[in-house]
Amino acid sequence: MFYRLAGVRHTTYRSARQLYPIPFDRYLLYTIVVIAIAAPFLFSPLTLNSYLLPWVIWSTAALGLNLLMGWAGQVHLGYAAVMAIGAYTAIHSVRAGIPFEIALILAGLASAAIGFVFGGAALRVKGLYLAVTTLAMQSIVDWTIVHVPAISGGSQATLQAPTLRIFGWPIESDAGRYWFALAICAVVTSFLLNVSRTSLGRALVAVREKDFAAAIIGVNPFKYKLLAFWCSSFIGGIAGAVLAFCYYRAVTPEQFHLEVSIQAVAMVIVGGLGSVLGSFFGAGLVLLAPIFLNNLVNDIAVALNLPLHAEIISHIPLVLYGALIVGFLLYEPLGLAKVYDNVRNYFFVWPFRHARH
Amino acid sequence: MRRVISTLAGAVALALASAPGWAQDKVIKFGFAEDFTKVYTFVTSEYNQGQRDYLALINERGGINGHRIEATVVDTGNEPQRGIEAYERFKAEGAVLVDFLSTPVSRAVVPRALQDGINVLTMFHGRSDAADGETFPTVFPAGALYWSQAAVILKYISDQEGGNLKGKKIAFVGIDSPFGKEPLPVFEAVRDKEGFELQTFFYPSPGNEQSSTWTAVRRYRPDWVVIWGAGGGQTVSLRDAVRNGIKLDRLLSVIWLSETDTQIVGNDAAKGVLRFEGVAYGRDNPVIKAILEEVYAKGKGAGDEKNVGSSYYNIGVASMAIVVEGVRNALEKQGEPLTAEKLKKGLEEIKNFTAEGLLPPLTITAQDHQGGGYGRISQWDGSKWVPKTDWIAAYQDIVMDLVKKTAAEFKKQ
Repeated sequence: MFYRLAGVRHTTYRSARQLYPIPFDRYLLYTIVVIAIAAPFLFSPLTLNSYLLPWVIWSTAALGLNLLMGWAGQVHLGYAAVMAIGAYTAIHSVRAGIPFEIALILAGLASAAIGFVFGGAALRVKGLYLAVTTLAMQSIVDWTIVHVPAISGGSQATLQAPTLRIFGWPIESDAGRYWFALAICAVVTSFLLNVSRTSLGRALVAVREKDFAAAIIGVNPFKYKLLAFWCSSFIGGIAGAVLAFCYYRAVTPEQFHLEVSIQAVAMVIVGGLGSVLGSFFGAGLVLLAPIFLNNLVNDIAVALNLPLHAEIISHIPLVLYGALIVGFLLYEPLGLAKVYDNVRNYFFVWPFRHARH
Repeated sequence: MRRVISTLAGAVALALASAPGWAQDKVIKFGFAEDFTKVYTFVTSEYNQGQRDYLALINERGGINGHRIEATVVDTGNEPQRGIEAYERFKAEGAVLVDFLSTPVSRAVVPRALQDGINVLTMFHGRSDAADGETFPTVFPAGALYWSQAAVILKYISDQEGGNLKGKKIAFVGIDSPFGKEPLPVFEAVRDKEGFELQTFFYPSPGNEQSSTWTAVRRYRPDWVVIWGAGGGQTVSLRDAVRNGIKLDRLLSVIWLSETDTQIVGNDAAKGVLRFEGVAYGRDNPVIKAILEEVYAKGKGAGDEKNVGSSYYNIGVASMAIVVEGVRNALEKQGEPLTAEKLKKGLEEIKNFTAEGLLPPLTITAQDHQGGGYGRISQWDGSKWVPKTDWIAAYQDIVMDLVKKTAAEFKKQ
């Protein structure tokens, strides 16, 4: 009833292979895009600045990591370090007088180059061993930032991001920063939506499933693993730069610590490995759930006038958050994207019960 | 039926009449987004309890010129993005002052706060160069900066050595993070002036494991040791110092060493250790006594009564005493309603404020948001902290030079 599959016939390969062959999905996407673009007019500055903007940026980062973990099957526990390289490169480049657009590309390239070197380890080690290798990358990058004052910004270890300028136009409004982040997110999203139907995407999936099987059918795992690290780190670098310029507006080493890497991995796993939509869901849950739970518990405590210490009130959301993640993964191990997919499949044939697959 | 209605109406009218007059009164909003769950845990809970108890005391006494102070408390887990979210929410609610008690979070919020003109209290944390009130108009350290703490510690050592530090060996043992390295410029500048020998030792963050560092410290045979960390690392430093036979009455700490640390190490084992103190310790103070009598006696305390008078609790009380003084100045001189801008001016008019002996004399001006850089050295005697010196400030020329220099760098950005 909602999806109205009846009458959807594809008479050309082109139409059959489009990203959203079902009209309902397309209209849903259009609606979301319109809401996303009009968000500065629809929502309060609070919602825009503290929920939507970080969500959009973190989704971009999660997409980058998902390319590596979900498509190519390579674990990365140092993604925050990749973002840090991007953030610091972009800020230092702009302060050195390089225009922001070029600095953004440089940020991507610097992250890609360093991520690529560490990715080289992926050619020799797999699984948990690769996880440890990327963890080492995290520590090395953290250490370097803290110990080189020229990078971290001296005794206060804080670097202010210069004003965001695009083609010379200074962007100083909240809406402008949001739209810029949204544009970058849109580019990365469309890249990843299309990756699945390119030879690159198929090769990555082949490598993920079994690298020597991939080699037998003519896919060079050496090349594609490195390519995956390169692309993913490039996106991570860009996301880090956008995070620094549009959201934090000042970078400190703490913003890119190991915990942030773990959060990025959680976003990808909770959202759904290898799913574009999942990256958005995962980023939303991991980033926003602690905040909402915290506010919810606080409001309940205030409304009911509970005689609880601030300490206890602030620990309850942590317990709930943990339960939420475990609950979601128990209910649907394939992530939030699969939960959405289940609902969608149900409504495909609603009011009937069984889908014809 | 009519009787029921009239009884109900009467009851409602009575309830409205007898309810405290707050409903019509004016409210001043503060926002405290602090870390209760990750790094600073017990520091935060004592500090926050002190803040809320002092505000409760003021509200119990009828507020400030009829204004009640309302503080929203949330947890940030020491994460910058949650601090920013909380800040934006406080801003939307109309808060005039925010406090994060976390260096990473307040650093992340400073650019926004400067733009929005909301006051950020960064007492004993945050950017040290924020003491420059002209570059950071709405950021208030309002207490001795880490640089000033280092200066007071070195002054104490110099006084103990009869004013001559030539050839003395001072070991600096700090956490390997920007915070642990921050005081080094002061140590180096004073070394160049006084001619002592300085050796630095760093242990990896978060400082749960420091044994190899302390073996090296022991081999160096220092005359004095200064430890520079926060949270759990401080306890480990103290324990490893005891293990390595360092004389505790020659070991000084930055402000973040409290009775909680000495208790874990052993109250007797830690006897003699010295620390910087920015706010008086204990219950022997009129403000703390008033909190016990007027807040806890009525069962309105924000936490466990046994925390009252502890080191970090008193810092929380002092922080709010300073802000309330600022609010009072603002309301008296600039009138209602209180805005962030008026509060900023009110804070900058604080002169020789001591909160009845809880604080060293504090004078904040539009140029200097530190307020003098005073502090003292106190010693753990096995059951309490005993002051060893008066409130002193030292080498402020060196400190202010550093403030000017880093603030200028910030401005350039």
